[in-house]
Amino acid sequence: MIRVEEYKLPQHDLPSEKFLHPKKVYLPLSQHIGKPSKELVSLGNLVDEGELIAKPEGKVSSSLHAPKKGKVVAIEYFPHPVLKRYKGITIECQEEEKKYFRTKDPSLLDKEKILQIIESAGIVGMGGAGFPTHIKLNPPKKIDTLIINGCECEPYLACDYRLMVENTQGVFGGVEIICKILQPKRVFFCIEENKPEAIKRFNSSISIKKYDLPSPQIVVLKSCYPQGGEKQLIYKVTKRKVPSGGLPFDVGCLVQNVATCFSIYQAVYYSKPLIERLVTFAGDSLFNPKNIWVKVGTLISELFEQGILQFKKELRKVILGGPMMGIALDSLDYPILKTTTGVLFLSQDRIDQEPEQECIRCARCVDVCPMGLLPLEFVKRVKRGEFEKLDEVFIKDCIECGCCSWGCPAKIPIVHYIKVGKLYGTHR
Amino acid sequence: MELIDSVAPHQRSKISIHWAMRQVITALIPAILASIILFREKALFLILNCSLSCLLTEEIILRIRRKPSQVKNCSAVLTGILLALVLPPSTKWYAATLGSVFAIFIGKQVFGGLGQNIFNPALIGRAFLVAAYPKMMTTWISPFTLDAITKATPLALRKFDQILTPLKDLFIGTVPGSLGETSALALIIGGIYLLIRKVIDWRIPLTLLLTTVIISSIFYFIQPLNGSPLFHIFSGGLLLGAFFMATDPVTTPVTKKGRYIFGVGCGILIMIIRYFSGLPEGVMYSIIFMNALVPLINRYTIPKPFGYER
Repeated sequence: MIRVEEYKLPQHDLPSEKFLHPKKVYLPLSQHIGKPSKELVSLGNLVDEGELIAKPEGKVSSSLHAPKKGKVVAIEYFPHPVLKRYKGITIECQEEEKKYFRTKDPSLLDKEKILQIIESAGIVGMGGAGFPTHIKLNPPKKIDTLIINGCECEPYLACDYRLMVENTQGVFGGVEIICKILQPKRVFFCIEENKPEAIKRFNSSISIKKYDLPSPQIVVLKSCYPQGGEKQLIYKVTKRKVPSGGLPFDVGCLVQNVATCFSIYQAVYYSKPLIERLVTFAGDSLFNPKNIWVKVGTLISELFEQGILQFKKELRKVILGGPMMGIALDSLDYPILKTTTGVLFLSQDRIDQEPEQECIRCARCVDVCPMGLLPLEFVKRVKRGEFEKLDEVFIKDCIECGCCSWGCPAKIPIVHYIKVGKLYGTHR
Repeated sequence: MELIDSVAPHQRSKISIHWAMRQVITALIPAILASIILFREKALFLILNCSLSCLLTEEIILRIRRKPSQVKNCSAVLTGILLALVLPPSTKWYAATLGSVFAIFIGKQVFGGLGQNIFNPALIGRAFLVAAYPKMMTTWISPFTLDAITKATPLALRKFDQILTPLKDLFIGTVPGSLGETSALALIIGGIYLLIRKVIDWRIPLTLLLTTVIISSIFYFIQPLNGSPLFHIFSGGLLLGAFFMATDPVTTPVTKKGRYIFGVGCGILIMIIRYFSGLPEGVMYSIIFMNALVPLINRYTIPKPFGYER
C-alpha cells in the first residue's frame, strides 16, 4: 500500500455538469468483460434513445443501447481505447431528449425479474473492470457481506465522490435493490477519509432508516492506494482473504462500485439503460477540470470542439482512467465507454520520463506490493527470458496495481515487465 | 500534437537512486564531521582520497566497458566515504587509494557494476587492505593528539587486557579506532535520519542490534568483564555496520523474512568473533559472510502471497 499524490482538486469540489448532446456517438461492441455484443441494427436504421442496438452473446456478455435518438451511419472498426481497434456502431444523434419517469415499484418485483432488468439495461461494473453486473449479482455461493466501494483511490478521479454527494438517494436505492437480490447479512459502505461530504451524507442516509438495508455500516478508510482493489478492500473490511485464483464470493463477499449501484437504481426505477455516466475530466493541461455526465460513446475530442473543455497548457499525455492503472491514448478521438471513470490530460510537468536504470535490489517494490509478491524477481526473470520460472514467484497473483513501478528508484516500468511475463508465460 | 505513450502507472514517486545515495551520504555527515574533529587533517585527506579514487576508478572502468557514466548516482563516492570511515586514521595515502581501486574494481565492477555485486564494496576494500597491510591496518592512534604512539582500540583492550573503556568516551568517540567508527553519537544521529526518511528498512539494523544486545547481555551476566551490551554496541564498527553497511540494498536480502535472518545472522557472527576468535572485532567479516548467503536466503524465503496462507 502506498500514499500517492492525489491531485483531486478542483474537480473534487465542483458540482458535476452535463453534456448530453453529442453530435455523434461511437459505440464499440465490446465495453465489458466477456463476449462482445451482437449488433441488431443495420446501416441507415433510425433508433430511439434507450433502444437496444446490440444484444448479449454467449454466457458472459452485455447489451448495448442507443444513447441518443438518431441514425446508424456506420458499423465498422474504429479506435478502441483498450483493444486498439474494434467493431462498433456509429450513430448520428438528434437534439431531442428523452424524459424518463419513475415507472416500476421494485417492491413488487422478485429477484429473477430484477436481475432480468439489470441484464437488459446493459449494466456492467463501472469501476473499470466492466464485468456484467447481472452475472455478478447471481453468484454460485451465498453472500453474507455486501461491500459498496466508494474508495476511489486513484489520483485525480472524483466522479464517484460527486455521485455519492449529489445522488446519494440513487446510490442507496441501488444498494437496496442489490440487497433484495442477494439477501446479505450486512452492508459496508467503504469511503476514504478524503471524502468528508460523502461520509456525512451516507451517515445521515443510514440514520434516517428510510432504506431497507441489513445492518448497514459506514467504513471510513485512510486514503491509500490500492484501497479500492477488490481483494484489498474485502480484507480490510472483513479480514477475509480471497484465495489465490478465487473470487470474492469464495469468502461470502461481493463488492459493488457506487456508480454501478446508481445505474441499477436508474434501470429498475426509471427503466433507463446504461447510456450515460459521470466521468472525471482532469489534469494540469486542462483549463477547467470537472466531472461531466456524458453519453456513452461520446468522443473525447467532441467535448473540446463544443467548448465544454479547454486547454491551458500544452497537452503531452492523455490517460483513460486513473494515472495508476489507466491507458495512455494516442489521440482524442476515442469514445467514452461504460467503464470510463476519467480522462486525464497531462502536460510535460506531470510526466516522469526518467530513463530506466539497473535494479539496485532495494526491495521497495517488495515492501509496497499489496499482494505480498517480489516484483523485482519478475523483472529479473523476464529480462533473462526465464518465463518458465515466473510461476515459482507467483506472477499470476499480480493485480497490476502499479505500486511497485511507482516506488522504484531505478524507474523500472515493473508492471510492463510483468505484463510481458504473463503474456509469454501463458503462450509458452 | 504528439502524445506520449507509456504503460501504467503514469504517476511515480520522486525517489530515485541518486536520491537514496545522497540521503545516505547526508546521514554520514555527522560521522564525517566527528572523524574530522577527532582525527583532523588525517581524516579529511583519507575521506577525500577514497571518494575521489572510487569515483575515478568507477568512471574509468565504465568508460572501458562502454557504459554510461554513474557520477550522478553518487554510488562510488558513497563507497569511498564508507571505506575511508572504516580505515585507521594513520592509513597511508597509497594504501587508501589502492583499497579504493580494489573496492570498486573487484568489489563491484567485475560483478557487472551497480546492483550486481554480491559483497559490500567498501568492506571488500577494507578486507583487501587488512590482508595487504596487516600492520598498518591494526595500528591505531589517539584522537586529537595524533601522536605516533600506537594505542589499542576499546575492543582490543577488552579482549587482550580485560580493560573496559568508559561508555561516555565510546559514545562521544574520544577513543582510538577507525575514522568514522568511534563516535556512537554521530552514527546514531545518521541512522535515525535514514530510518525517519525511510531510506533504509528498519528490519536489518533492529534485528542486528537486538541480537547483539541479547547475546552480550548473557555474557555480561556471566562475567562483567565481557563488556556490557552498551559497550558492545558503542564500540568498534557495530553501529556503522548496522546502519550503513548491513543496509546496503544491493548486498542484502530482498524478502522481509530474509532481512530478519540477515540481521540476526550478522549479530550472532559479530559476537562469536568478538568473544571466541583471535580478532577483537568482527563486523566486517560478519557482514561479508552474510552477503555471501544472501542469494540462498532469498531463495528460501520467497513469501507466500496474499490469498495463499490460511
